[in-house]
Parts: sequence; structure tokens; C-alpha cells
Amino acid sequence: LIVTLSVLLIVVVVLIILAIAIGSEYVSLDAIVKIISGRAAEITPEQRVIISEIRLPRVLMAVVVGAALSVAGAAYQALLRNPLADPYILGVSTGGALGAIAATVFAESLQVSRPLAAFVGATLTIGCVYVLGQSKQGGSTERLILAGVIVNALLSSAVIFMVTTASGARQRSVLSWLIGDLSGEARLLPPVSAFVAAGILIICFNARSLNLMMTGEEEALALGVEVPRVKVAVYLAASLITGAAVAVSGVIGFVGLIIPHAIRLAGGSDNRLVVPASALVGGAFLLVADSVARTVVAPRELHIGVITALIGAPAFIYLLRRAS
Amino acid sequence: VLFALSVAIVFSACGSRAPRASGLRQITDEIGRAILVTPEPQRIVSLAPSITETLFALGLGDRIVGVTAYCDYPPEAAAKEQVGDTLRPSIERIVALKTDLVIASTASQLQQFVHNLDEVAIPVYVSDPRGVDGALESITRIGELTGTTARARELTTSLRGRVESVQARLGGTERPRVLCILGSAPLITIGARSFITDLINQAGGRSISEDLVGDYPQYSLETAVAKRPEVIFLETGEADLPERLKRTPAGQFGRVFHIDGNLLLRPGPRIVDGLEQMARKLHPEVFGVE
Repeated sequence: LIVTLSVLLIVVVVLIILAIAIGSEYVSLDAIVKIISGRAAEITPEQRVIISEIRLPRVLMAVVVGAALSVAGAAYQALLRNPLADPYILGVSTGGALGAIAATVFAESLQVSRPLAAFVGATLTIGCVYVLGQSKQGGSTERLILAGVIVNALLSSAVIFMVTTASGARQRSVLSWLIGDLSGEARLLPPVSAFVAAGILIICFNARSLNLMMTGEEEALALGVEVPRVKVAVYLAASLITGAAVAVSGVIGFVGLIIPHAIRLAGGSDNRLVVPASALVGGAFLLVADSVARTVVAPRELHIGVITALIGAPAFIYLLRRAS
Repeated sequence: VLFALSVAIVFSACGSRAPRASGLRQITDEIGRAILVTPEPQRIVSLAPSITETLFALGLGDRIVGVTAYCDYPPEAAAKEQVGDTLRPSIERIVALKTDLVIASTASQLQQFVHNLDEVAIPVYVSDPRGVDGALESITRIGELTGTTARARELTTSLRGRVESVQARLGGTERPRVLCILGSAPLITIGARSFITDLINQAGGRSISEDLVGDYPQYSLETAVAKRPEVIFLETGEADLPERLKRTPAGQFGRVFHIDGNLLLRPGPRIVDGLEQMARKLHPEVFGVE
């Protein structure tokens, strides 16, 4: 376990270094080393801005968002014992996006209100979905997924309504924002990273309980797992990291669904491995996807969602076929 | 299905009025479609803000029976019946208004809708202006279409005079590098095909993204920084300059300007207002500091 995670960590670090070295503008490795080692005086100001204020934050943002979405997906899949569960399917991402868009449209001081509103939106959404998913006999997984689909449909129409009533330039950025974009708001990187790290740690600590709950909640209860407490903690943590990710990147699909599956297919379904490995592989995946998005048609950029689907779908099909 | 049904009903109800045999002229619109219109259309629906502005400037305000929700200039346009927004106009309302001519613009991408109007035998003229010259040409052709040729000539002559006067004053001045921002998260700018690229050229500047394919591409922030823009134009709806562009020459010398997108994005008569505004911001040494 430790070995696997260490190898993955090294891969992520190598990818981060590679990703910083490439971009639509050429900056020599020598210059990058000088910038990072603080000898910035010999470098043109443009190169310094490009590396330290544009590329580095974006690369780190991709890793954080990819880790967040993958772990959220792994958590929902374990809790619901349903392979289709992920922040997008359950409507949590859209809820976060709706909150953030509401903040963009109604509150002029969008910089501060947007991430806060996204947290609130994501948390309210998972709350609604959870309540709607309960029946008199207790919760059933199908019912919950169904509730997620319905809530998602409702939230999507609310998003579309707000986008249609918003004007000109705002409409454009809100739309692009809904498809996913990692170029914005470097300032939000520290708080978002902190939230995501906290959420992932909470889910990691509950990984063993999640393992037991995956065989059945009653069995888990019998084995001394505080099922209700674990459920609430993991739901809240997953929604927290989804909200944090959506607040800076918009709704990026595919990551939360495919990464945990890929890891389970490759290394089994022990959540003590799946959760931290999802964070690392998800981060690496989104980093690669975003590096492609920002370089392949440079100086134009592609939407990140295009790349996640293009890489994600064939990879997923390959893993499925190999497993069967 | 409901929509198809309603179109079918409208079609059958209006079938009798389709061939208004005598006096129709055949006109080719700006995307090469042949249409039949009366010599002086009296009940015109405009499907683009630029068209509405052009019609009012041609003195045809009284003959406009319908506009889009975005047609907000001149102020009188707001009093007109709305037929929907530019994406989803109501075909029923257009029929109910006894429209004898619809004028659309390629900017609003209404191909399917044009087809639906063909089915109910309402002529649709599609304008396709490219660049400042194209906008003036389009005004001339809409003048011919609506029987206001003389007024259109007067208007375009005056507009062309203003364009030439700007160019005469610019002479051979340096052309500063311009970044035009239509959206900042992500960065949306103007490409080779955009109207605004031509506008910046005519106003004595050079768009740093002029070689990009398309109209309004998403642009790499690091390329924008590396190209060292000397002037940045922001669409009015956009908030302040993104933090990371403040270190560009434009940011450092305070040459960042908000400009009314309605003047830039609407290829109507006010395009020349936009051109003059841009020229004044780009060349204070020629036009004086405001």
C-alpha cells in the first residue's frame, strides 16, 4: 500500500514538473529553474508572470480539482454501493455550480461570494438528494440515484434559466464556466487546497468503516461501525470537496466516475487504497488533460471537458474489457 | 411535435395569402438566397439589434412591427412588439403581426428558423456584414430592400466620411498592440473573423490575436502576457482587469479601457461611433486626451 502510494506520488510530482515546462509560450528549462530558485532578476518579467502566476497555479489547481472530484466519486460510490454514483450524477456539482452562478449574477463582489455559495449549493443539494432518497423502509440506493437525477434536472433548468436571463459578457463566462475551466482565480488556490485536503483526510480516516459498510450496513453496525455518523461525515466531506472544486473550476465531468473505477479494476476495492490512490491518480489525470487542453491548439484553448471525455472514455472501455 | 403541429396549422391558415401576385420584386440577400418582397415593405420584423438600429437610422421606425428582446437602441425600439430573443423568435407572433418582411443577421445563426419562415411564405432577408466596409455595404443593401435607397446613400456617405476622417488624422502613426477581452474567466478574445479585429485595424491598432481562427476564441492567458499588449479593451459587462494582466504594458501605463460592447458587436450605423471611441483611446496624441 505504502509503496503503491509512494510510486503514484512520485508520478504526480514528475507530471507537475513536466506540465510547468510546457505551454503555449516557450520558456526554457533554464529560465524555469532560475525562476523557481528565486534568481528572477535575470528573467524577463513576462516569463516570470507566465511561470509563477499563470502556469504554476493552473497546474496545481488541476491536481487539486482532479483529486477532489475523484475522491468525492470514490466516496459516493462506496456509500451508495452504486458504480454510477459521482458528484455529477448526484447533482452535487450542478448544485455547487448553481450557487456559484447565483453569486456571479446577483452579487457584484463575486470573488468572495462565489466559492462560499458553491459550498452552500453543494451541501444543500446532497441534503435534498439524501432526504428524497429515503423511503419509509429506509434509504435504497436506486431511490437515491433517482433522486439525484431528478434534483440534477431541476438544478440544470435553474442554471439554464439564470444563464438565459443574464446579459452579454456575463452569459459567456457563465457558460464556459459550466463546462469547466481551470485558468481562473489563482488566489483561491490556498483555501481550496486546504478544504480539499481536509475533506480527503476525513474520508481516508473513514475508509475502513466504508469497507465494512460496503458489505452491508447492518453487518457494519454489528461489527461496531457507527454507520449514521460515518455516513454524515463522509457525505459532508465529499460535498465540501466537490463544492470547493466546482467553485474554482466549474463542472468537469468524467473524473469522479472513471478514476475510482480504474483503481478498483487495477488494485481491488479496499477503500484504504482506493481513496488516497484516487486523489493521486485523479490529480494526475486532470493535470494531463488540462495540459493537453491548453497546448494542443495553442494559443487557443480547448474546454477541459472535451479532453477528460476523450481520454476518459476509451481508458474506461479498455479497463472494462480487460476486467471481463 | 407540438411546434411542428403549430407551424402546420399556421401554414394552412395562411396558405391563402402566400402569392400576392403582382408587384413583387426578386432580391438576392447577402448569403445568396433569392427572396420575393413587396417594393416598399410596410410591416418589417427585425431579428437583430444591428438591423433595428439600421432601420431606425433609415427613418423606417414606423414600419417596424417587431423586434427582439435585445433591441434596446434607439430608445423607441423598446416600445415595439417583441418577437422573442435572437435565438428563439416566436414564429406565431411574426405571423400574427402580418409581417411582410423579416430581416435577420448571420450573427444570430437562425438557419433553421429562416427555413420555418419560408414555409409560411414570409420573406426573410439575411444580412451578412463583414468588417466596417461590410456594415456600410449592408446598410446600402437594406436601403434598396426597403425602398429607402436615397436615405441609405446619405447615411453611408456620412458614415464613410467619418471613417475616412479618422484614417486621415491617423496617417502613419504607430499601431499599438491591442488585447480585446470579451470574457475574462476563461479569457475570451477576438479572432481573425471577428468584426472587432477589423474595427481595431481601422482605428489604428493591431489586435494581438488577429491570426487566431474563428470569431471569439478562448485564448491562452500566458500568450496574452507574452505578447505584451499596449492597450487593453474590456467589454463593459466585464469586471476589472484580471490580476495577472496588470503587469502588461497596458496595465502598467493605465491604458485599459472599458468600451460599450453594443457599439462593437452590432454591425449597424453605430459601428462608426465604436470606431471613433477606439481611435481616441488608441491615439490620444492625435485626438487629444479626454
